[in-house]
Amino acid sequence: MHGRPRKSPTREDEAASAATGKNLGFLQSQLLYNHHKKIYNEEALDLSAKTLQINPDLYTAWNYRRLAVQHKLAAAHPEFNSIFDPELRLVESALRTNPKAYGAWYHREWVLRRLSKARSSSSSYLNDYLDHELQLLETLLKHDSRNFHAWNHRRFVAALFNTSDQEELKFTNEMIQDNQDNLSNYSMWHHRRVLLSGLLKKKAQGFSSKEKVLHDEYQLVDGAIVAGTEDQSGWFYHLSLLEQTVNMDAPFLVSSWPSHGSNVLLSRNRCSDDCSLSQFDSFHSSSGTFPLILYFTKAVQGVNSSTITIESSFCTKNDLHWTPLMQNRSQFSQAWVTHIIFPAARPHSSEPYLLEISVGQSQGIISRNGFPYSHPTQFNFKVRLCLGKTERGEVEDLDGDIILWKDENFHALQTKSQEPHEAVSFDQLIINDVHEPNTSNWRAAIVANEIDFFQTLLFYKIGILTLARLLTAKNVLLSRCTNKTVHSKVLELYKDLIKLDPLHSQYYKDQHSIVFLQEVTSNRESLQRHCCSYKNFASASIGNYKCVRLNNISLSRMGSVEKLLWVSMLDLSHNELCSIEGLEAMQLLSCLNLSVNKFSGFSALGPLRLLKSLEVLNISYNEIGLHTTDTARYLCSSPLSHTEETSWNCDEIVPGGVSVMNYWEAFLIFKSLRLTQLDIAGNAIAGENFKSFLVKVVPSLQWLDGDKLR
Amino acid sequence: MDLELFERDRHVTFLQMMYQLLPSPYQSQEINRLTLAYFVISGLDLLNSLDRLVDKDAVATWVLSLQAHPRSTAELNNGQFYGFHGSRAAQFPPENNDNGALNPSVSNLASTYCALALLKIVGYNLSSIDSESILTSMRNLQQPDGSFMPIHTGAETDLRFVYCAVAICHMLGNWSGMDKEKAKEYILKCQSYDGGFGLVPGSESHGGATYCGVTSLRLMGFIEDEILSKNAPSSIIDVPLLLDWCVQRQAADGGFQGRPNKPSDTCYAFWIASVLKILGGHKFIDKKALHGFLLTCQSEYGGFSKFPGQLPDLYHSYYGLTAFSLLEEPGLNSLCVELGMTAIAAMGISLDSPSYLLAL
Repeated sequence: MHGRPRKSPTREDEAASAATGKNLGFLQSQLLYNHHKKIYNEEALDLSAKTLQINPDLYTAWNYRRLAVQHKLAAAHPEFNSIFDPELRLVESALRTNPKAYGAWYHREWVLRRLSKARSSSSSYLNDYLDHELQLLETLLKHDSRNFHAWNHRRFVAALFNTSDQEELKFTNEMIQDNQDNLSNYSMWHHRRVLLSGLLKKKAQGFSSKEKVLHDEYQLVDGAIVAGTEDQSGWFYHLSLLEQTVNMDAPFLVSSWPSHGSNVLLSRNRCSDDCSLSQFDSFHSSSGTFPLILYFTKAVQGVNSSTITIESSFCTKNDLHWTPLMQNRSQFSQAWVTHIIFPAARPHSSEPYLLEISVGQSQGIISRNGFPYSHPTQFNFKVRLCLGKTERGEVEDLDGDIILWKDENFHALQTKSQEPHEAVSFDQLIINDVHEPNTSNWRAAIVANEIDFFQTLLFYKIGILTLARLLTAKNVLLSRCTNKTVHSKVLELYKDLIKLDPLHSQYYKDQHSIVFLQEVTSNRESLQRHCCSYKNFASASIGNYKCVRLNNISLSRMGSVEKLLWVSMLDLSHNELCSIEGLEAMQLLSCLNLSVNKFSGFSALGPLRLLKSLEVLNISYNEIGLHTTDTARYLCSSPLSHTEETSWNCDEIVPGGVSVMNYWEAFLIFKSLRLTQLDIAGNAIAGENFKSFLVKVVPSLQWLDGDKLR
Repeated sequence: MDLELFERDRHVTFLQMMYQLLPSPYQSQEINRLTLAYFVISGLDLLNSLDRLVDKDAVATWVLSLQAHPRSTAELNNGQFYGFHGSRAAQFPPENNDNGALNPSVSNLASTYCALALLKIVGYNLSSIDSESILTSMRNLQQPDGSFMPIHTGAETDLRFVYCAVAICHMLGNWSGMDKEKAKEYILKCQSYDGGFGLVPGSESHGGATYCGVTSLRLMGFIEDEILSKNAPSSIIDVPLLLDWCVQRQAADGGFQGRPNKPSDTCYAFWIASVLKILGGHKFIDKKALHGFLLTCQSEYGGFSKFPGQLPDLYHSYYGLTAFSLLEEPGLNSLCVELGMTAIAAMGISLDSPSYLLAL
């Protein structure tokens, strides 16, 4: 960026440049002398002009020219034309040497700004300058239609001379009409996009209907795509239109735990079977509280006891503290949690308590982009307190048993009828009050129209990608009113892309994983195929985990966590994960298997820090500590980390101080967890030193790599 | 000549030659000698050849000689910027009789960034320089919209100079030189609808501007390391769009382009791969394909060119080396992408300090 040579010299250039180099050296030292002595006579100005024609990147020379202009303007009766015009001409000749000289472009804008101020009364005079600028830009854009300095200058000139956005839009229309090659000019599309956003926002005349504007733009860009199917510009513009078409500004609630209409059995310990008929609706906590989790379509802030009200006969205090489930300081999050104290025991009554939750009745929840939550939602669920024999706590020690992630310990759910197992929790929350019903129709119509168009363009990779995104968009629009969505076609398209465009295969794999998980969680039947119960027959303890297995399915990215908030045991082993972003919303999670994946460092495991119920973790056979790039990041993580306020005394924790920096991120993760069981074997980092470090940092640990501690 | 391997030794020789004598094509950039020196010295550091080939004390002494010093406290507050001059030629001898008039000799933000980076790379302890005058006077360069101009006499303001100011404050460990909140607001305005960042608000997304925007936010602590693993939706920038934009910049020939529909260019392998690294999206790079492209830009004389098969230049040679470091090429030191120097230099650890031994 800084001082970069604009083009590498060819051999022929070299001899010439050696000569100019010598000459330039002389000119520069003369210029600096004049600059220093504040000499602004004609001879000195000529010299600076010569210097700039050879080296337009010489900032000092442009500074000198500006001081000279100011010097002349300070005279008694300044001759504006004779002051400004030579400057503009000099910039033009400098731009002939280097059309991307930042200093030259800045000088031009500086002169034009002064000029328009000096002559603001005479508008016809200014119009001549405007015409001249537009002509200059035309010449430069003909020479290089992607010169971003020229495009930025165009926007500067339009603002300085008050050219209307409509006029500028016309200019891009003419560009396309004059030369179809401009359909592949992304800078032109960018100019259009910026102008249209402004016009739509202002609701300027002819631009009050987003539907119509988008419709026309799709027509234009579809034409560009047909004209140049291998060209990126039109495709990227199309993707940005699609984003605008589908994106709903206002946030809304997508799911919760407990979910709408559910019955939750609360206990202070892992309840034995006689407590309930359906163990899958139970929740235990020794602290006597249960979480209430809300999950929104977008990251929001303002979730608190005045925007969320809870009505029930036991939870009367309405001053609950809501926490965003995220690790930065932005205070915006998709998932929020609060903790509600168990109701008092009523030994003679098994009547459940009803809780009515109202979200967004009063204003205050807003998205990152400033859009308010505008569709108040209500849902309810029931809780009942379990008074099993375990209330006294005599089976506490059973929790000390090791969890073994073996296939034989996981059992398919038994169903007696064709009906899906009711144990599988499925969030029924559907927002019936469809948002902006009128606008949804035109959005769906546009998407359907484009899907038809792109069915014919499947020979090109970006055609396939666009169709996959259009079908995903259709699913998003559909899911707002029903649960009937189609994913199989999208999955096929991404599989094709992985083969067709191996350069970006990792990206397509991620998209495939996201859509695959949407499909799995889109209905109760498909979700049930991944649900099971855990029971280790060699152990006396009662499993009672709500277990989902998504292992060995080539997942490269996690997703759809909003449909899995009820899960307490999750098996993600034997995949290709290197991130668990979003998992922090799964607050009920107590056992997690991430073994045999592609995690290369502890930083990527950051979401674990928010899983306060996590007790059993398997991260064995990953790539932690393997890559030098990541080792470098450990080195930098503590000095670069501004968000951590942790006292870290390495001498205390790691006597001998070996690889202290490598452990920094591990320390941040593990010190906030109360793990009882951890598997870390099969990682480059997992030597004896690291293990003894872990034992110190996690005092609750009972099992490490299958060995009983103490 | 087609080279099939990364030619470490040739690159050392190339930079060593540059270190001894900057050849004539660069004389027109005499004014930016600090920048050129930064490419050479940091490049040799990446190649793990600094100790062997460079007189670190001499470099530090030369860099320090280019610092601008106010002559009095009053002068410190006269609106000038007291950073580092780009080279000796840009420096004027102090005048005795200018009675408070502005000294036309100007130091600029880019040279100041390069000077501090150089000092860090040669292991000079930055706490012993006069950072107060740099930081105090740097505040004059920040504009009401949060952006920075590079010199106090006025010049274009954009993300490049925001990055320089941020990196300067970070290296000096002191944020009094700028209003971080304002800088953040400006950077956020530069994120375009397609996910990339333009140099100024409303301009087209550009690889270098995207690097400046993202690394600045990271150095100021407004975004997390590896956001892709940590609540991307709650981040202050649009992460999914940014990822889309960066991933699509790897072109069919394996190299990275700075904007859609432009040819691949060596330096964008650094600008864009660095952003992907900060996001935690390293895996999205087709490393083999990028490796292949970079080799087509590797010169038989050492160094790298902008486009395949051209003659090398210092700028693209340096960014070629940083790209290979990101690809974990054996024999290269690992890179701190945020500050543009080796990780060890970024840590500010001198080779004989006990903390360096701990970090090994």
